[in-house]
Amino acid sequence: MSVSRRDFLKSAGVTSLATAVTSVAVPDAAAQTGPAVVGPGEVPVALTVNGARLDLNIEPRVTLLDALRTRADLTGNKRVCDRGSCGACTMIVDGRIVYACSTLAIEVQGKQIRTVEGLSTGAALHPVQQAFCDVDALMCGFCTPGFVVATVAILEKHPNATREQISKGLDGNICRCGTFVRIMEAAMKARGVARG
Amino acid sequence: MAKYSWPEKPALLGTPVKRVDGPDKVTGRARYSYDINRPGMIYGRIVRSPYPHARVVSVDLAAAQKAAGVKAALVYREPGTEVMYQGDPVAAVAADTEEHARDAARLVRVRYEPLPHVSTVEQAMASDAPQVFPTGNTRQGAREETGDLAAGFARAAHVVEQTYSTHVITHVCLETHGCVCEWDGDRLTAWISTQAVIQSAQQFAQALGIPQSNVHCITQYMGGGFGSKFGPDAQGIICAKLARQANAPVKLMLDRKEEHLDTGNRPSATAHIRAGVTADGTLTAFDGESWGTGGAGAPSGFPLPYIYSFPNRRRAHKDVFINAGLQRAMRAPGHPQGCFLTEILMDELADQVKMDPVAFRIRNLPPAGPNAMWAQYFRDGARRFGWDERHATGDSAPGPIKTGMGVSAHRWGGAGRGSRAHVDLMSDGTAIVKCGTQDIGTGTRTIVGIVAAETFGLPIDAVRVEIGDSALPFSGGSGGSTTAASVTPAIRVTCTLALDALFAKVAPALGAPAEDLVAEGGRIHVRGNAARGMSWKDACKLIGTEPISVDGQWQDGLSGAGTSGVQFAEVTVDIETGVVRVTRILAMQDCGLIVDRLTAESQAYGGVIAAINFALFEDRILDRVTGQMVNPNMEWYLLAGLSDVPAIDVVLNNMPERGVIGIGEPPTVSTASAIANAVRNATGATIRSLPLHPHKVLAAIEQQRAGGTN
Repeated sequence: MSVSRRDFLKSAGVTSLATAVTSVAVPDAAAQTGPAVVGPGEVPVALTVNGARLDLNIEPRVTLLDALRTRADLTGNKRVCDRGSCGACTMIVDGRIVYACSTLAIEVQGKQIRTVEGLSTGAALHPVQQAFCDVDALMCGFCTPGFVVATVAILEKHPNATREQISKGLDGNICRCGTFVRIMEAAMKARGVARG
Repeated sequence: MAKYSWPEKPALLGTPVKRVDGPDKVTGRARYSYDINRPGMIYGRIVRSPYPHARVVSVDLAAAQKAAGVKAALVYREPGTEVMYQGDPVAAVAADTEEHARDAARLVRVRYEPLPHVSTVEQAMASDAPQVFPTGNTRQGAREETGDLAAGFARAAHVVEQTYSTHVITHVCLETHGCVCEWDGDRLTAWISTQAVIQSAQQFAQALGIPQSNVHCITQYMGGGFGSKFGPDAQGIICAKLARQANAPVKLMLDRKEEHLDTGNRPSATAHIRAGVTADGTLTAFDGESWGTGGAGAPSGFPLPYIYSFPNRRRAHKDVFINAGLQRAMRAPGHPQGCFLTEILMDELADQVKMDPVAFRIRNLPPAGPNAMWAQYFRDGARRFGWDERHATGDSAPGPIKTGMGVSAHRWGGAGRGSRAHVDLMSDGTAIVKCGTQDIGTGTRTIVGIVAAETFGLPIDAVRVEIGDSALPFSGGSGGSTTAASVTPAIRVTCTLALDALFAKVAPALGAPAEDLVAEGGRIHVRGNAARGMSWKDACKLIGTEPISVDGQWQDGLSGAGTSGVQFAEVTVDIETGVVRVTRILAMQDCGLIVDRLTAESQAYGGVIAAINFALFEDRILDRVTGQMVNPNMEWYLLAGLSDVPAIDVVLNNMPERGVIGIGEPPTVSTASAIANAVRNATGATIRSLPLHPHKVLAAIEQQRAGGTN
């Protein structure tokens, strides 16, 4: 049964505030048969990034974002909130978008990782990147790589995405400069031109 | 060509020109301070006070210094001194990895003696408040008075007396504050995220006690400042000191929580106002007591009343100090506050005299000046927006979704000041333009290219632009919407001088006087005779081995001051959930001569969206008991996403005769006020404070039903 916000507020009265506390059962550690423990010191981690293999030695707690930005000098995707709230770190892993700041590098070994750097070929921009430039869907540019990757992912999945699909698909990305209007224009412009 | 002017029929100026650094930004090639990775670089991390007010008793670095990978540690806040807000810096460490730096920071042992604190304006102003600040918790400013207040109120047929307020918000620059510092002997290079690359170098030098010529600041790209990045701040100096101690480059970028706590905010603003209007809708009197908080010891002033003409007025302002991070300039400082505190009042007064809000505002505009276009924007905008479809206060349509429209006006200064530039023209046709300005996302790199290309008659990609480096010719910080008006005249003058030098070389080859030559379409030719000329490349061959190398600076006559704007908003309000949705915004705005129409429009969109955030979403929430920020992150510090953004219609009024002025800030001033007035129009309930969160909308509607919000 689902309760809408409207129904809840109407039944509860406008001035009351309800809080819900959920408790999560903690699994009994002793009951688990243990897998091999890795770390806490540096361990070898092999990543496949934009089709190329990347061999790193990092602590297991290092995120995919930090591994690429600080150990591989792949600084295209940015660290902004570091908590999976703003989308600046958006990458595509095995065809699904992820917040790289909230993904451990060690967890994505053997997967196909695509970052913003992998979208262009030499000087040739990906159609989404070209569309962003054409309609000025960027200002300071710090959110831009995340938005570009997220837009590519949406259009690869829905080549003829509607405005609503684009909107919902990009709602996980935040811009502070206020480029949203032209990001929508760029995404609409790149539809049908984006290659798989 | 002794006199400097903009071309009558520009090829590039005022047209939509794509950002020259677009490709670098969309590919991730652009390197921001956060992206600089230097050989041997280590990572810095600051230890900060968890208390809103405390005395630092002792700082023990021993355990941290012994931790894995640690190369440096320092005490920033000496024992015996006080920290004044949660997040105030106390100590710092640097280690070989960020993970090790975070681990080590946790091992720094600071003993604090917590002291009494105040977390809200009410607490600070209470008669029994602990006096937290050395000169008291409040600072009363001078009272300003004009005309005869008593007579003004005596003439008023209606008086509105209410309290209005706006809240504290933080800048939320996506790239946090910070830098990479690297020493070479006693010479420092700092890749710093800043709006003021030259001023930052000056401040580093002063704080570190080294000559200014020993500091080199570099900012090719920066991820947002909005007024908060004008120097190294504590973190930059700490970074430089860690780097010196460790004898290694240090990267110290703040994390999101630190960014919320310690890099500035827009101060709050509250005003208790009494205002009077005659029966025929003429404003007569305004009496306002205002106050606000800019945190621990910082000011909070703003203009009041705003725009409209109150012939008899009095206003006093008081700064209130609380134990929170200090305010810094935030996009149009003071104006969004003054605008809101006046514009809601204006709609309440308009209702008293039963006048249409637009007509009421036009009636009470100050005497027209050359830069005051409000009357025209009100009329044109109202027509364009469909204002005559607006119903009276309170949407009587059935159902829970109510619609409303609101309006607001604003002004801004802009204007230019001294900036210098250097131009080199090489014999292979290369044109290099250098200026110590910075591109904070507004498109400065592109407009420098546009002015140079316009002057030389070249396409923009034939000009190389160098900015973002303190070693380049002097230019000011990017604030106050002054960059375009400071930089473009300097570029125009310097390029004109360089072109004159080139004409002097070309003239004999063409057998024509230099003053008869023009540069356009990639050629230098005799005015009116395109065939009698040569290509730019051939002209440059005549330069020889010694390049044309010219210094120039800003001159009067190419820029101006003063912009005006009016904005209209349409909203829907769901009176069962309290949720406000903005459906349409119309922004009428001028900025003098538009240099790049594409980036100028983007600034307008950006300013409007920033104000939608101010009106509906973001809020710096401090726990009133603990003084801790409740939402120092980006999931509970709410910012609009794509689905929250309405249709935005931007009408930019190009006024070439006024010269270049500036547009970064003005479009953000009015939107929140127009939205609030639209919400009032929709619901019939007046909400006199921001943000317009659902619970406040519902409470106001409830109050209105119970007997009114008047």
